[in-house]
Amino acid sequence: MTAATGVPAAARPLRAAAVDGLTSGRLLRLELRRNAMLWMAPVAVALFWFHTYRQCLAQPPMWNLRAMTMQHGVLLDFVPPVIGAATWMGWRDSRRRMTELVAAAAKPRWAAQLVTWAATTIWAMVAYLACVGVLYAVIARNATWGGPLWWPAAVGAAGLPAMSAVGFAAGSFFPSRFTTPLVTVGAFFALGYSSQGAHSASSPWQISPQLAFPADIGPDPGMATFYHYLPDLSIAQVMLLVGVAIAALSVLGLSADSGGRWLRRCAAVLTVAGLTAAVTAVDLAGTGRTDPHGMVIIPALHDAANDRPIRYQPVCSHTAVPVCLNPAYAVYLPAVTAALAPVLSEVAGLPGEPARISQAAPIYAREPGKGIAISAGNPAPGGSPAVSGNRQVSLILPNQLPGQQGTSSAQFAAEVLSIAPEIVDMVIGAPVGQDGVPGGSAAQQAVAAALVKDAGLQLVGPVPRGQVIRMPGNAVPGPAQGTPVYAAALRFAALSATARHAWLVAHLAALRAGQISLALLP
Amino acid sequence: MAVAGVSLETGHGVFGLLGPNGAGKTTLLRAMATVIAPTSGTLRLLDRDPGQYGERREIRRRLGYLPQNLGYYPSFTVTEFVEYFALLKDMPAAQVPGAVAVALERVDLNNKAKAKLRTLSGGMLRRVGIAQAIVNSPELLLLDEPTAGLDPEQRVHFRGLLRDLGQQATVVVSTHLVEDVGAACTEVALMDQGRIVFHGTPDELTACGVGTAAAGDAPLERGYSAMLARARS
Repeated sequence: MTAATGVPAAARPLRAAAVDGLTSGRLLRLELRRNAMLWMAPVAVALFWFHTYRQCLAQPPMWNLRAMTMQHGVLLDFVPPVIGAATWMGWRDSRRRMTELVAAAAKPRWAAQLVTWAATTIWAMVAYLACVGVLYAVIARNATWGGPLWWPAAVGAAGLPAMSAVGFAAGSFFPSRFTTPLVTVGAFFALGYSSQGAHSASSPWQISPQLAFPADIGPDPGMATFYHYLPDLSIAQVMLLVGVAIAALSVLGLSADSGGRWLRRCAAVLTVAGLTAAVTAVDLAGTGRTDPHGMVIIPALHDAANDRPIRYQPVCSHTAVPVCLNPAYAVYLPAVTAALAPVLSEVAGLPGEPARISQAAPIYAREPGKGIAISAGNPAPGGSPAVSGNRQVSLILPNQLPGQQGTSSAQFAAEVLSIAPEIVDMVIGAPVGQDGVPGGSAAQQAVAAALVKDAGLQLVGPVPRGQVIRMPGNAVPGPAQGTPVYAAALRFAALSATARHAWLVAHLAALRAGQISLALLP
Repeated sequence: MAVAGVSLETGHGVFGLLGPNGAGKTTLLRAMATVIAPTSGTLRLLDRDPGQYGERREIRRRLGYLPQNLGYYPSFTVTEFVEYFALLKDMPAAQVPGAVAVALERVDLNNKAKAKLRTLSGGMLRRVGIAQAIVNSPELLLLDEPTAGLDPEQRVHFRGLLRDLGQQATVVVSTHLVEDVGAACTEVALMDQGRIVFHGTPDELTACGVGTAAAGDAPLERGYSAMLARARS
């Protein structure tokens, strides 16, 4: 074939689009006005409200719990509308029989596609930011301490362009009426199940953008309260999502009609870079481990500066023995104080009574074959008046706060009271033995058991230490039933509180010195 | 092979491309629109080689194209649709609103500028298609069946537009309607089975039918039929 139009190109002052950002701006404005995501944004907001927003507000009013819950649910809410709209926009030209006309346009096909994708993503992002903004504003109003956790929000924000890019690319490469529903449903389930494969912090599945916490611990109030939120996992997740977005968008630029050779080379480089980033992120997630403060450490991404504890001024009760908590738990101070009141009243005024009950940071440790064990770290300094360390009792609050996953106030109080043996031990001088039963003389054991029982706890038999991290309900280890110690404990517990207290005032020194026998107990 | 052995060269003016169904008119137009590349031979458009990406892009900036089966975005307004293609043709953004208004006026659609495309009739959509093709004042305008669906009044109006455009640009019109060619074209080519079987003026094509028993109601139609019969004999 030989054809020619002989009109020489006139020296018409046409500018290249590359130097005309306004052109792309106007295209974007047009795409924004007529984008399917504009109509799907209310659906995303409704799903967010119905699922994640309500789930977050059902959590205790703490930034860490609510922000981590938000990350866990938000992408699942946004997947169907965003990926659906993106897929729909991806095959718009085929559906509307516009492929040929668009192909004959001067602007590189890839550039035009990116503008359409950008419009879809911008609407998704607007909806997302509105949702997260409202949620964070509500949390800010409810939370007693701390500030927003931005990394969970950043992971969600990085997830939207990635989902949108995957959907857009799928729609563009497989233009069919079945593409949108198939990709939407597939992506929903893929994301939903992505977190199911993670069973420990060292699992590559931990990369799932749904997870803001180690898979083997779950969201715990102690995380990111006493120590900074570790962004290691979030950084890996953002890296994955950005990599997926870049790869999916760059693949669009590889086709012959997408632009010139230079553009296609750029697309090829970006595709490789995106895939490399995604694979590296998964690989990095596989090197993670649970740190003592309940977060995931990824050595290659870890900044040791984040390991420092957060300084805070505890909030304390105005009781004879002050109970001091991290200010993030301030709303639970009355409940904790009330829960400890029975045991503190038993030891009030006795020599050796604790000067303060101070909340300590939980320390998480993986025990081989036993999962994660939680123990108390050092309480934060502070509170007024200052007390010496040996007159202070460390308290770790239960990892289920009232209202969290159906935990009742009574269950919470019972778990808080499980610290009673330690308080009694400080006074009676009966250190807990290897079998979980208070040690010391038989009389010390009996008095300790009686005080614990009168505080409202239920005595069960000796339990080998280490088998049970936290006894269920209000049960604590005690002397075995039918033993003389048990009988003496029942006898001592049956005294009136005044008589018991008077006896202790008179005989505590002798009891601590081991000079009181069971027979001498009233 | 849809098109083979075509050799054409044309300059300013309205160039009519006639031929029966399947003659290869649309394929030739698609190649000229740089949508498909010729498998052999040379194609030069506006003194440039569309095989080179940079030159192809320059051609596309100066090109207007109306495909035979024009799709549309139903939710776009008339103005938005034309503006969209003006921007895809790399027109400077500042010139776009004015160019869109002029294009809509030329196809007599300025009173429908804000109407959604889904509300328009087939003829109006065709005019929107023409508007997007001419919005960048193309130096090469390729129109595939541009008058299909237009009412007689619009068709007459459109022929006037074609003549006007042909004064500053090369306009290639593929059509079945020989009266369009007779009324608007300065040059005409007749295609059959992928080959050019006639290239001349409409008057020369008309002359081919004089004194023959070729079918047709008008002299140009008889010339068309006679030329086609001669090519096939």
